Amino acid sequence: KDDVIAAASAARARRSGRVGLATASRSTSDPHPAEMATHELHPNDTLTTLKMESENLKAKLEEERAKLHDVELHQVAEKIEALGQFVMKTRRTLKGHGNKVLCMDWCKDKRRIVSSSQDGKVIVWDAFTTNKEHAVTMPCTWVMACAYAPSGCAVACGGLDNKCSVYPLSLDKNENLAAKKKSVAMHTNYLSACSFTNSDMQILTSSGDGTCALWDVESGQLLQSFHGHGADVLCLDLAPSETGNTFVSGGCDKKANVWDMRSGQCIQSFETHESDINSVRYYPSGDAFASGSDDATCRLYDLRADREVAIYSKESIIFGASSVDFSLSGRLLFGGYNDYTINVWDVLKGNRVSILFGHENRVSTLRVSPDGTAFCSGSWDHTLRIWA
Amino acid sequence: MQDAAMSNNMAKIADARKAVEQLKLEVNIDRMMVSKAAEELMAFCEAHAKEDPLVTQVPSSENPFREKKLFCVIL
Repeated sequence: KDDVIAAASAARARRSGRVGLATASRSTSDPHPAEMATHELHPNDTLTTLKMESENLKAKLEEERAKLHDVELHQVAEKIEALGQFVMKTRRTLKGHGNKVLCMDWCKDKRRIVSSSQDGKVIVWDAFTTNKEHAVTMPCTWVMACAYAPSGCAVACGGLDNKCSVYPLSLDKNENLAAKKKSVAMHTNYLSACSFTNSDMQILTSSGDGTCALWDVESGQLLQSFHGHGADVLCLDLAPSETGNTFVSGGCDKKANVWDMRSGQCIQSFETHESDINSVRYYPSGDAFASGSDDATCRLYDLRADREVAIYSKESIIFGASSVDFSLSGRLLFGGYNDYTINVWDVLKGNRVSILFGHENRVSTLRVSPDGTAFCSGSWDHTLRIWA
Repeated sequence: MQDAAMSNNMAKIADARKAVEQLKLEVNIDRMMVSKAAEELMAFCEAHAKEDPLVTQVPSSENPFREKKLFCVIL
């Protein structure tokens, strides 16, 4: 925990102008105060030259990316068959939250769901029967993040309490879940998203404090922190396990960053959205990811081409996309929007395949089930819906 | 006062250096032509289309959410 607090206050110190964190990649050392005194003009020159170098590198990056832009994805996709008629309806409605549903996640058993709400409640449901199996009241309101453990034996959640806590799920319905609660992550601002890694032992978090962090669940120790966003980080998604140890995050700085989990290094960064990125999700092969933003568009970024390869938008869609997820094969992209609808996109051809109505307020969260047979949406209308 | 101004500058320089190093890393990665990347995305979709219940419609009896039968809970 000391490491956590040190890391958090170091990040704050950086932003307030005191000495910055050292990075392993730098070969030159910072100018010594004694040197600074004898070269009064030196620091300003250095700053200006560095800024110019930065601008030049940004231009070079765009140049390199443009060289590979030989064709558009939807052009390549012209040769494949269009999708058949698309029929999806609400098959279940989960009622029980007393306020806006903010987040949900599926259990690997493909039937259980955990959801969290503005009223501080976290509920575990059986989506087949719509029964509530567990309920926990958090000590804070706005529980913006929740996640199911891979084993199905625990859930993690957090929000305005700046923490991520893990609750083991008990088979005994009478047991008070709050008694076994374990505080794992500690940020210096709200928790926006959390996800277990491949096991119940590690959790990845993102926060309003501008950082992401990887934690050991058992000890609460900070294993790695990820700095690079210039504002609140709103979402994250782990790469499918076959593709290695990376994850993508999206933030209020309009950037989507791809990170190496072991080194803490940002590997790639994409800044084409015009507003906050509310949701990021990997394409099932791990070679691309989609994003949903307040700029009313969803976009697809290919990691090997290192660029945006598709924009999913329509003039009639003017409200932000809050949450996105792919169908099992990656052909469909489901987007939940602030205009209460869900738009279904053909990922390859770029056109909208369907628009789903039903929610009576913003759609805030959306996830496809682990076996791809359905997807669940959560809304500010206090309900969750299962669509299939 | 001079100390505060100096260390403020040092911090800005440190940040600017970090930004430059980060950009150098990003510029130097290996990239693939969009045409090739797009072909691979499409190939993945095609290969998995049959297993995707929302793309290839399966009979209602195989989708637990579409089934009409009621569930009994064994207590």
